[in-house]
Amino acid sequence: MSLLRRCALACVVSLAAVAAVVAPARAQDTTVAGVRIGLVYAPGTRPGVLVLPVDGTAGDSIRAILERDFTYGDRINVITLEPSAIPQFGSGSARPNYPLFTRLGVAAILQVTPTSFGIQVTVHNAGKGVAERTKAFPLPSGTLSADWRLALHAVADEIEQWVTGVRGIAATRILYVSAGRVWQVDSDGANAIAITSSGSNAMSPVWHPKASHIAYMTMGATGQQVVIREIGGATRVLPTRSGLNMTPTFAPDGYTIVYAHGAESGTDLYATNAFGNEPARRITVGRGSDNTQPSFSPDGRRLAFTSGRSGHPEVYISDADGTNAELLTPYNFGDQSYRANPDWSPDGRLIAFEAQLAGRMQVMTIGLRDRVIKRHTSEGTNEQPSWAPDARHLVFTSNRGGTKQLWVLDVESNTVRQLTHAPAGARFGAWSPLLRAR
Amino acid sequence: MTGRRLGRAGATAALVFTAGCFATRSDVRVLQGDILSFRTEAARADSARARQIASVVAALGTVADSARATSDRLSRFQGDTRGDLRSIQQQLLQIQELTGQSQRRLQELRADMEARAQQPVPSPVAPAPGDSAVVAPVQAAPGPNQLYQLAYDQLRRGSYSAARAGFEELLRLYPTSELAPDAQINIAEAYAAEGIAASADSAYAAVVSKYPRSMRAPTGLYKLALSMARQGRRADARTAMDRVVREYPTSDEADLAREWLRTNR
Repeated sequence: MSLLRRCALACVVSLAAVAAVVAPARAQDTTVAGVRIGLVYAPGTRPGVLVLPVDGTAGDSIRAILERDFTYGDRINVITLEPSAIPQFGSGSARPNYPLFTRLGVAAILQVTPTSFGIQVTVHNAGKGVAERTKAFPLPSGTLSADWRLALHAVADEIEQWVTGVRGIAATRILYVSAGRVWQVDSDGANAIAITSSGSNAMSPVWHPKASHIAYMTMGATGQQVVIREIGGATRVLPTRSGLNMTPTFAPDGYTIVYAHGAESGTDLYATNAFGNEPARRITVGRGSDNTQPSFSPDGRRLAFTSGRSGHPEVYISDADGTNAELLTPYNFGDQSYRANPDWSPDGRLIAFEAQLAGRMQVMTIGLRDRVIKRHTSEGTNEQPSWAPDARHLVFTSNRGGTKQLWVLDVESNTVRQLTHAPAGARFGAWSPLLRAR
Repeated sequence: MTGRRLGRAGATAALVFTAGCFATRSDVRVLQGDILSFRTEAARADSARARQIASVVAALGTVADSARATSDRLSRFQGDTRGDLRSIQQQLLQIQELTGQSQRRLQELRADMEARAQQPVPSPVAPAPGDSAVVAPVQAAPGPNQLYQLAYDQLRRGSYSAARAGFEELLRLYPTSELAPDAQINIAEAYAAEGIAASADSAYAAVVSKYPRSMRAPTGLYKLALSMARQGRRADARTAMDRVVREYPTSDEADLAREWLRTNR
C-alpha cells in the first residue's frame, strides 16, 4: 500500500471515528463560528436568563419581545419576575449582587439600555460575576413597526447565540395561505399581512433561499400556474406547459426551481431556471404515477419528493437530476396508508413528513443516516410540516384547536404553540430563512 | 191523364227494382250471426297473435337478460382481472421497493458485521511483564461494505476528498466487489460536488467503460451527458444521451434522456 493511500485510508477512518463521536453533540449544537460568552450550554438544559426592566417608552415592549423570543427558541429558560421582585441591580458604581441572582437560577442577566439610535445590550454572567459582553444595536425608526420588530428579533437571535452558541430563529417569517391569499406572519405570531391580492387562489407558497422572492401556485381559468413574486416587487408567471403545475420549490442555488407538472400520463417533477426561459427538464420517472412536493437537501445535490409509484404515496429521495431514486419511508407490504409532504431539515439530518395513522395525518421525522422514524404529534390532524432554519422547530397545519391553523413544534421536546389565529383558517406554512433587518 | 199513367208506371217500376234490396229479418239475423262469428274469429286470431308476440317478447327479454347478465359477468371478470393485474403490479412494485430497502439495510448490516469481525480478539493469556515476544493484535483492513459506508458517510457530510479517497481505496482493495460500480460513480459525484467537471466527467465515463452491465452504467452515462450540457457541449451531450437510449433502452435514465432529446433539438 502506498504511503499516499495509507494516509487517505487513515484519513477516512479517523474522520469517521471523529464524526461518530461528534455526531450526538452536533445533533444539538450547530454552533456558528462567532462570539460566545463563557456560559456552558448543555443540550437538554436551558440556562436561566433574566431580562432586566428596560427604560423608555418602548421599554416594556422591548423586554416582552426579547423574553418571548427566548421562550419560543426553546433553548433559554426565561426567569420571569415582576419588576418589583427583581433585586436591585447595582446603582451607580455599586457592584450588582450576582450571588443573589444565581440563587434565583439566573445564569445570565440581560441589561438593555435605550440609546438615540437603538439599544445597547449588556450580558452579565451571574456565575462569574462579570459583564461578559456589550454591544450597541441600531433599530429603525417607527417603534413596533414591522421593520423595528424584525430588527429587535435579530437582536434576540444574536443574544441567544451568545448565551447558547446557537443562533435563534426569531428574525424569520412564515408564509401561509388563508382564504386563497398568501400571507406572512412573524415567527412570534405578530404582524400578519397578506402578500397576494384576493381571488388569487394561491397554494403551496415557498421561500427563495435568500428570502428575496417567494413562489406559489395559483389556480385560474387557464389552469394551474407557478408564480414567482419578488418581495415588495413584481410577479412573474413561470413559463410552463398548460395543465397542472404545482408544489414549486427553489433549489439552494437560488436559480433552479422544481415543480410538479401533471398531464394525462401522470405527474412528474420538472426543473428549470426560475428567472430564465429555458425548457424545463423532467427529473422523475413516474411511469404514470404522481410525483409531487419536492424538497432539496441543504447542499442541493439530493431531492425528497412524494411519489405514488408503488401504488400509494410514499416519500422518495433521489439525486437532484432524478437518478438514483430510492424509497425513504418504509411501509409494510399491503399497507395502504400513505406518507407525503417531505421537508428536508436545514442541517441535512432529518426529513419531516406527514403520515396517515388511523385515518389521520400526523407529523413525523426520519433520520437520513439511521432511517429511524419519530412521531411528533397525536392530537387532531397535523400535516404540511416545514422546518425552521435551526432544524429544531417545525411549523405545521393542525385542526387541534377547531379550525385549521399553523402551529409550531419543537421536535426535541415535542412542545407546541399556536402561531396563527386566522379567521378563515391557515394552511401550507413555509418557514423563511433567517432574515436581515432593513 | 197521361201524366197520372206515367206516375203509376214509375211507382210500379221502382217497386219492382227495389224489391230485391230489402232483406228479410232472418237474413239480417243470419248476417249478424256471421259478423259475430267473424269478429270472434278475428279476436281469437288477435289473441293468439298477441300471445305469440308476448311469448316472443318474453323470449327476447329473457335472451336480453341473459345477454346482459353474461355481459355483466364478462365486465366483472374483466374488471376483476384488471384489478388483479393492477394489484399484482402494485405488489410487485412494493416488493421491488421493499427489496431495495432490504438490500440497503443488508449492506449496512454487512458493514456492521465487517466492523465487528475487524475488532481484535484479546488474548486469553495475559502476557508476562516485559515479554516483548507478545505482538499486539493486528487490525484487519476494513471490508468493502464497511469501507463503502465510511466513504459514503463522508460524501453525504460534504467531505468530498475524504470520500473520494475511501472509494478509491475500495476499488483498489476490492476491484471485483459488487459495490465497485457504486464506488466509481460516487468518486464522480464527489468531483462534481467540488466543481471539478473534467475529473467528474472522466469518472462518470469510467463507470460505463469499466462496468457496462452494471445498473450504474446508464446513471453514469446520463450524468455525463448532463455535465456536458452544463458545460455547453451540446453535441457531445446529445451523443451521450443517444447512447443512453440506444444501449440502456429500458432504464429510467433512457426515459429521461428521450425527453431531454425531445426538448433540446
